[in-house]
Amino acid sequence: MKLLLAGFGFIGKNFIRAVNEKITLLKSVDRDFKVVGVATSQGVLYSSRGLDVDKLSRLEKASQYGEEFEFGGSVKEFLEEGAADIIVVATPTNIETGEPGLTYIRTALKNGVDVVTADKGPLVLEFWELTRLAERNGRYLMYEATVAAALPIFSLYRECLQADRIIRISGILNGTTNYILSKMFFEGTSFELSLKEAQERGYAEKDPSYDVDGIDAACKVVILGNSIMGKNWKFEDVKRIGIRKITPEAVELAKKSGYAIKLVGVVDDKPEVSPRMVPLRHPLCVHGNLNAVHFETDLAGEITVIGYGAGRETVSAVLNDVISILRDRTRNV
Amino acid sequence: MTLSLPDRPGQLLKALEPIAKNGGNIISIVHDRNKVSGEYALVSLIADFPSKESFRETRRELEGIGISVVKSEEVVAKEDLTVIVIGRFNLDKIVGRGLRIIDVELSNPSSEKPCMKLHVEVPKEDVKGFYNLLHELAEKEKALIITPV
Repeated sequence: MKLLLAGFGFIGKNFIRAVNEKITLLKSVDRDFKVVGVATSQGVLYSSRGLDVDKLSRLEKASQYGEEFEFGGSVKEFLEEGAADIIVVATPTNIETGEPGLTYIRTALKNGVDVVTADKGPLVLEFWELTRLAERNGRYLMYEATVAAALPIFSLYRECLQADRIIRISGILNGTTNYILSKMFFEGTSFELSLKEAQERGYAEKDPSYDVDGIDAACKVVILGNSIMGKNWKFEDVKRIGIRKITPEAVELAKKSGYAIKLVGVVDDKPEVSPRMVPLRHPLCVHGNLNAVHFETDLAGEITVIGYGAGRETVSAVLNDVISILRDRTRNV
Repeated sequence: MTLSLPDRPGQLLKALEPIAKNGGNIISIVHDRNKVSGEYALVSLIADFPSKESFRETRRELEGIGISVVKSEEVVAKEDLTVIVIGRFNLDKIVGRGLRIIDVELSNPSSEKPCMKLHVEVPKEDVKGFYNLLHELAEKEKALIITPV
């Protein structure tokens, strides 16, 4: 199968590095597997014979690859011309327009191309439209990396909880806020100081509102609710309170009573993201930039998955989705 | 509760029907044949009801079918809750609503962002209502309520 990567930022580059490291595995699943293209905001790098992923994995910009890079090239045209069988969407998240990922996913599905996305914007805005489009066209739309990155959430639900009814999902869905609150918990520092340190370490953006106001976590609540609970939620449906008002005194009072304050996303009848008191012995009580997702189901009872919800670990989920598609598409060939 | 049943076959079954209908879960039942007084036998039972109202409705229905409740006692299941409030919050507004304040701890009370830990005992069936009330009051006073997961 021919793979096209859209986006050559942090996730895109690390994805190519992981493909390079795991090329033997990928070829063992599909001996014709090759990366044929990389699309960036500047243009498209394309070779029908397949790109040299070892060379690509050492580049900072796709345009440095050589003459195969076409400035101003359009992903849409490549998808419409059947240049790829699978697209990995690693574009920056935009929850207002979903672009450019939304157009890439729509075009891919309409043109018989399977989709793996790490960009959550298109799913937050148009989950059901895209899901139905994939179904109508017999294509895969996979998005494990969009919620809690490397943690197996959707594959756990899809493969291991097929008979279970999910009653409730709650989770620490944002590593940046968890880092800030953990710092306040262990060192008694203020929110402002903890945020500053998170920014210095590269865990938080200069404009931290996406994380600290619970926007990122609310996006994940929407995707979880729609995908696992069959809801039809939009971003505005999630009640959202961020962590800006949390004081060191509140953290200390909670701690003395055996709790840590965490930003928790709750997926049940009332979707919500808000600071909550998590008992210190509760499986959701993870610290640092870890994520945790806690399922309550009718048969299995309680299941918690813990791991890294951001960073280069994200590519584990992307690559797993790609391999699942490769296995299925090559099964009967 | 202790019921006085006519000492005839089938009376115990008749008495259990309103209990089951109102969601009562019988924990223990003692039908003491040695305590037959005249034509009546005493039955003592302990049951869990989903709410005070369902217990009272059961009593009404028992009496409606001619079974007298000789003695009854309600023990309300309670839950211990701890919440944190950041911002100004008037405790008076939650007093006298069926809850018992066990402990209040204040931190930085004179600052712009005072913080309070509130430890209360609430009847189990009122927990949801208590949280709703807290959130409603907090919204009015622009305070932040942090509840346990």
